[in-house]
Amino acid sequence: MKHETYAGPAVAASGLVKRYQEIVAVDGVDLTIPAHSIYALLGPNGAGKTTTISMLITLIEPTSGSARVAGLDVVKQASEVRRRIGVTFQETVLDDDLTGRQTLDYHGQLYAQRKGQRQAKMTELLALVELEEAADRRVKTYSGGMKRRLELARGLMTEPEVLFLDEPTLGLDPQNRAGIWAYIHNLKEQQGLTLLLTTHYMEEAEHLADRVGIMDHGRIVVEATPRSLIEQMGDDVIQIAGQGDSSEFLAKLQALPFVQHVSSGNGLIQAGVDLGNRRLAEIVTVATSTGFQVEDISVTKPSLADVFLKYTGRQLRDK
Amino acid sequence: MNAAITLWHKHMRKSFLHSEEIIGMLIQPVLWVLLFGVGMTRMLGDTPMGGSDSYLTYMLPGIIALTALGGAVTGGFTWLLERVRGIVKEYLVAPIPRLSILLGNALSTVTKALLQVVVIFVVGGLVGAQLSFNPLYWLAGLLLISGYTLGFAGLALAFASKTDSTGAYHTIIFLFNLPLLFLSNALYPLDTLPIWMQIGAFFNPTTYVVSGLRQTMLSSGANHETLALWLCFLAVALFAAIGTGVAYRAFRGAIK
Repeated sequence: MKHETYAGPAVAASGLVKRYQEIVAVDGVDLTIPAHSIYALLGPNGAGKTTTISMLITLIEPTSGSARVAGLDVVKQASEVRRRIGVTFQETVLDDDLTGRQTLDYHGQLYAQRKGQRQAKMTELLALVELEEAADRRVKTYSGGMKRRLELARGLMTEPEVLFLDEPTLGLDPQNRAGIWAYIHNLKEQQGLTLLLTTHYMEEAEHLADRVGIMDHGRIVVEATPRSLIEQMGDDVIQIAGQGDSSEFLAKLQALPFVQHVSSGNGLIQAGVDLGNRRLAEIVTVATSTGFQVEDISVTKPSLADVFLKYTGRQLRDK
Repeated sequence: MNAAITLWHKHMRKSFLHSEEIIGMLIQPVLWVLLFGVGMTRMLGDTPMGGSDSYLTYMLPGIIALTALGGAVTGGFTWLLERVRGIVKEYLVAPIPRLSILLGNALSTVTKALLQVVVIFVVGGLVGAQLSFNPLYWLAGLLLISGYTLGFAGLALAFASKTDSTGAYHTIIFLFNLPLLFLSNALYPLDTLPIWMQIGAFFNPTTYVVSGLRQTMLSSGANHETLALWLCFLAVALFAAIGTGVAYRAFRGAIK
């Protein structure tokens, strides 16, 4: 099933919109993912990540806009796109009654793989996701982490060029999550795959992705490498919670020479500064002088979570 | 077609994994024949019925139609569960024709129905129903029952594509079951019915499949059936086509 690999970007979408009656789930997404890279769509539930993926994997058709995967149009050449992609869905989509091996085998059969090819691929993938011993047990006896690994193996059965993973580690404990990350990382490094994954785990995006797109209300609000997104937050981030009118405080904060940027939302104020520990006292003084009562203040190294708060005005619960 | 066969295989394997499903599937029609058939025959004594020598022989095709109906309901239910649980998505992102997904389900439904039909005939023969032994007639009969099952499997699949509620599905489907069985010639000859029921039976595909089965799989019955065999085949074929078409449309709508 090897195809001539397309040299351009693995995914190229422009102006993607999906509307359900009055609800706009995806509101104009432009997306370019170079081949052999990992792209993470980061956002809260309901941001439109899954709907965006669903259009790219030909599960639903866009209301407007267009997208190409591996150089092929997702509407006009849907069948060709399907041949070149692998997918895992957000929810576990497995037949409990089948064994792991049967699950992979039926999947290969759906894609008209020959028996010898299926068997070689199953041996390889069951080893990759470390399910050899459980391969002939029914899926209903698997743990959550094993099911995820089996789904990952299924997505790889047909040697895809682009792999789409919708929340690949949702509901997994940290140990299993780290395991999945290692597989994903290897797929790019060793097999040259292109991966698009969605997640609402900050560390996941930070750890895995070459590029991160933060999605909110059906749009990608900012996109860059995780490093540059974090760097624009300043060297340190000071988070302040308190009571009273914060408008004057915010204005004064902005004017301070060492403050690189200020944002606020949900009662939390963030300031990017050069050296967090040295500036604490000064910031508290400014706050007090404007009548804003500081209740809690902390210094952190900036993370994607802070970037997220800056662009969406909301915190993404990192659980 | 390859994909339809793969899905057919998967459905069949899953059914055979659950021995209780298979046992229940085979016992239910046997109970119909033994309890209802034998009981009614005792009540009616030797009264010949529509040209058959006994009521047991006469009603056997009706039991077959009822069993096929039950099979179609189960097939639709399988589809509903696969939709609700998201398993359908695996099929939808695979490079296979949409129709083959439906066909795989319908094929396994028909296969299971045919297995049941054979059991009914064997049991029916054992308790004294007069069966035809012409293999060509048998083939024709199995063809009729396949078409009939396909038609209802289609309607059940269509409805299963429209609802996410298993309760609603079963309520509506069983509402259909009753008139399909009783508003037909399955249990009594058409000419004994009041005219309004005859008109209803005229539009009921069950009437045609039952009449066709009497003319092919029974050794008696043929002489007294008023519907020509070719008409039975035509009606069943039309019904199968309509069922498949309706299912396909509903299915397209469900995946938009």
